[in-house]
Amino acid sequence: MNKPNFDDYLNKSLNTLDKEIPPQKDLWAGIERAIVNNKQNQKKAGTWPKLTAIAACTIAALVAVNIFFIAPEPQPVVAISDYFSARKNSLLVEYENKEALTTNWQTQLQELEEAEQAIKQALKNEPQNQALLTMLAQIYQQQLDLINKVHAPRWQHI
Amino acid sequence: MLHVKPEQTPLCEATLIERVKSGEQAAYTTLYELHIKRVYGLCLRLLADQAHAEDAAQEVFVQVWHKIAQFDGRSQFSTWLYSVASNIAINYLRKQKNWLQKVVSIEHSGMDEQSANDCEGLNGLDKLIVRLPERARMVFVLFAIEGYRHEEIAEQLGMAVGSSKSQYHRARQLLQEWYENE
Repeated sequence: MNKPNFDDYLNKSLNTLDKEIPPQKDLWAGIERAIVNNKQNQKKAGTWPKLTAIAACTIAALVAVNIFFIAPEPQPVVAISDYFSARKNSLLVEYENKEALTTNWQTQLQELEEAEQAIKQALKNEPQNQALLTMLAQIYQQQLDLINKVHAPRWQHI
Repeated sequence: MLHVKPEQTPLCEATLIERVKSGEQAAYTTLYELHIKRVYGLCLRLLADQAHAEDAAQEVFVQVWHKIAQFDGRSQFSTWLYSVASNIAINYLRKQKNWLQKVVSIEHSGMDEQSANDCEGLNGLDKLIVRLPERARMVFVLFAIEGYRHEEIAEQLGMAVGSSKSQYHRARQLLQEWYENE
């Protein structure tokens, strides 16, 4: 028997398609826990964005000071790297004995570190390139976010 | 456990929403039961991954609990809820990408044929939809199944209207190719 042509098949399938698909596992338990722990979660979530904002402002200030006032003497990349290395090391020490929520976070961190090295390499040729400096700061920030995220309890993983 | 279709209970639902707005968690459980299959179905079609769809569906209901005060009743609750769900699913996919995928705009591929066939709850056309590449799949689901206009899809996905139309065309071509080779 011949198949119906594609247009007919598609129209018929779309008209009869059931938009409802039941999930294979109970999702309510995780949602309920997230709702019940709302205040606690808000408190936890509330701290990190503030720290992130403070870190981002500090970076911006460091970059601006280096570019507009101190440059060309010291390299902005050194200041940014020093600042973030200190933050990163302190986070890694803080979470040293805490179990991570994902198993591949170190691979993700490695990818970010590879990106960091690539940008640093490009900065050797153009040490004052603001776009590259901004990218470097973003890559550092993503590393901090990743370390925090995988060590912070979140409802998605309940 | 309730098995009531949302559209069959508008009055009941309005009452439920008011109770949820006043913080009544039991009412929210009922609202969840009414809509979870539809929300999960949307997330699964958009994300083409069961685990991600489960995570995203949970995120939808957690965010809706926090944001329900913003629902003013001018549209249907289901319309508002599914719009929140599609936004969360789209953002979920963005968050899953690593820095390299973001920088060079690498697309998530869809499920492979075997996974699509093995995926519980998917039938017929759905088994083909989840095999589509990310952008074509999202546009197809939002346009052909959810009924959004290309202008709305373009805004949601951060692409030009023309791109939305061409992704839809691409999706149809791939679906046709797979259908005819089945």
